[in-house]
Amino acid sequence: MEKDFSRRSFVKGMAVGTLAGYFGAAGLSSTVFKSQLLPKEKLNPVDIGQVKSLKIKVISETSWYDNNVFLNDVKKAGGLLVNQYEIPWTREGVKAGYQGDNLGGFSTYIEAELMDGKVMKILLDSGWNPHWMDKRFKEEGIAEKLAKKEIDFQAISHEHIDHFFGIESTMRHYPDIPMYVPKGFYQDGFDLLKGKSFPKANVKNDHPHKGKVTVLDSKQVNVLHPGIALMTFDVPIILRVFGEQAFVFNVKDKGIVLVTGCCHQGIISYMEEVRKKILGGEKIYAVQGGLHISPFEDWDPQYDDLILAFNKYGVQKIGCNHCTGFITAEKMIKAGLPVVKGTARNMSKRDIYLGNGDELLIA
Amino acid sequence: MSANALDTLWLEERSVTNLVKQPAIRGVLDMLLAFAVFMGLWWVFMDPRGVLRWYTPQYGYMYIRWLLIVAIWQVYIFNFWPFKLTWMEKTHPLKKGLILIAINFAVTGLLVWVFYYNIFGRLAIPYFSWPELKKTGLSDFFSREYSSLAILMMAAIASWLSPIWPSAFENYPWHKLKQPAKGLTVFAVTFLLTTYAYLIFMHPHYRVLFYPWQEYTASFPWWYDSFRTLSGNFNVGWIMCATVSVWLTETILERYPFRLVKSQPWRGIAGFLFILLLAFTLFFTFVFFQDMIWGVSVEGAKRIMAPDWRYLHTGELAVILLTVALALYFYFDNWPRNFSTEVNLLIRVTITIVVAVGLHWAYYKYSPQLLGTQAGYSHPQQFPMAPVILFINVMLYHNWFMDGWPGKRIKREAEAL
Repeated sequence: MEKDFSRRSFVKGMAVGTLAGYFGAAGLSSTVFKSQLLPKEKLNPVDIGQVKSLKIKVISETSWYDNNVFLNDVKKAGGLLVNQYEIPWTREGVKAGYQGDNLGGFSTYIEAELMDGKVMKILLDSGWNPHWMDKRFKEEGIAEKLAKKEIDFQAISHEHIDHFFGIESTMRHYPDIPMYVPKGFYQDGFDLLKGKSFPKANVKNDHPHKGKVTVLDSKQVNVLHPGIALMTFDVPIILRVFGEQAFVFNVKDKGIVLVTGCCHQGIISYMEEVRKKILGGEKIYAVQGGLHISPFEDWDPQYDDLILAFNKYGVQKIGCNHCTGFITAEKMIKAGLPVVKGTARNMSKRDIYLGNGDELLIA
Repeated sequence: MSANALDTLWLEERSVTNLVKQPAIRGVLDMLLAFAVFMGLWWVFMDPRGVLRWYTPQYGYMYIRWLLIVAIWQVYIFNFWPFKLTWMEKTHPLKKGLILIAINFAVTGLLVWVFYYNIFGRLAIPYFSWPELKKTGLSDFFSREYSSLAILMMAAIASWLSPIWPSAFENYPWHKLKQPAKGLTVFAVTFLLTTYAYLIFMHPHYRVLFYPWQEYTASFPWWYDSFRTLSGNFNVGWIMCATVSVWLTETILERYPFRLVKSQPWRGIAGFLFILLLAFTLFFTFVFFQDMIWGVSVEGAKRIMAPDWRYLHTGELAVILLTVALALYFYFDNWPRNFSTEVNLLIRVTITIVVAVGLHWAYYKYSPQLLGTQAGYSHPQQFPMAPVILFINVMLYHNWFMDGWPGKRIKREAEAL
């Protein structure tokens, strides 16, 4: 065959092949072709009901105090894929820390007034450093509410250190509190809940949980009470964590309010899912909590994609904090996004977004 | 290799004999051996549960990428220089392999620690240097991660452009030069092209990576309007498809059809264009498959729904495809070889695609247990390309540096006669 081959026939073949390949590839990726070939998504949005109003209080959004100390712990242990239960986290000698401890934690308290006037009291997450969390729970009256069993349930957004390792601070007051965790919790997480210690990571729980634990999966919207739902996302997360859940509230005359722990699923992905799966999801009024964009003041061009896209969703209030990062907040404000300012107290470093003790009212 | 090739590599002239006669058993045993060596290397250097834990992820990934490109330089550009080919033929494969691997590791270390960290990064572009980035006030961890990403991207582009010259152009117009002049010339030319390509395809990513945007030093990511992301992952995706295309044509496709062009530089030009065409076909096809499975990506979304992750994943899919193609080429003698070229190629491509689908499934199912990685798709700090390319490196060491020993060895003179 090689002997008979001529440059002319090769060039002809290449030209035909190139054109066919180009149009084939371009055709496959074109919107026209896609609209015919892509499977149609079945939309069957869930009516989660409504609540009258919502009060969201930041108990603690300061998960650690010195980024470099935190990142050095991670680097020394072997990077972002190492199991969080095996990393010796720095607990002393940190100038910017709480009593020298680099660890803080994340927790949010929510009061949702139902349409019948009853108020649902919810605790989202339990922080990291028990000393810090005990102090914050006491200062904000959470400890008392827990002791009196006034809080209806606790949801753990995900298994990460700063949201879950401080579980003892909840358990010491209310060990049988009903609890919701996302599908993906590792056995280590359930063991910690039941009282196991992890000395390498310097974490323990001397008050084993005795209440009901409900694991929520991502197959459906989990409606807990009228107007209150949890959505779970099957996402792999750094430091060997899997799965995150976040709240969806439907506030009468306002619209959907999303309350997150870290939002590792991504706020745009989250809003897209809400639009598809929840009745009225196209009107997202507010977003509150960590948006996990630049938690270490690091950056990636993908995050700019997110900020550029955020404006298209018409959100009225962005009560972000925690792992959203200061760089992100600055860029969001510059892009015209309605970031709610905080008061920079109780060890929150800046007032650029909601800090420890700040509230967001939706009524 | 074309019958009228201007230049050939020692690899193409090397004649090997089978020590294990049954081809399927030999292939499986050799592949298992390569896999065992890969697992050992992964455990020592990369595994997040292992010894050095360099898969942080970018730091270890950077080394894996450069080990690959240095091996390509050693074999394809320098044709094993400074070693004499008689030494290559007479030295025991284990001894030869260990020496060549030691050189491979040493050159990689020198490139990273001397060239990038202390010359290029210090005197030209700071984001290529871990210490220089740290001096700007960036955290130690991210200084290392950002610089590693830049350095590894240079390797990714080099792994596409470097082998094209010996493979498609047969080193034309420098084919008559002797080593090391030929190697140095081709190295200089391809490294220059790599640097230009890097500045066009990856440098704009760094304009946006730092805060505030570095608008005086890098262009705005020019692909944004068409491909809906500022991330350089768009280019990572298609460039990886191009790298894979080079090696698919070099192995299971036997440089077909461009080898049929009679003279250089037309054969090289045709080869370059064919590789580019194959790359974009792979890229758009993989993007389309992902859209079919997960729905169309959403601008600004994260993870599986993010446009930039989808592009990155095209590269990951392509590398998985390449692993199978290389295993077929190295361990199963590029089976089949007894039909017409077209039929042989069609069967090989079919086998490669089918096995790659299985490998893709197996990777996501078993890598958490085997490699210490984390479960699930689209982990933001996890790159299947890292372990897969390390396995490719081991296959290259085994077959390029060690003649496929112990399953095969170089034919002795008497046997050759």
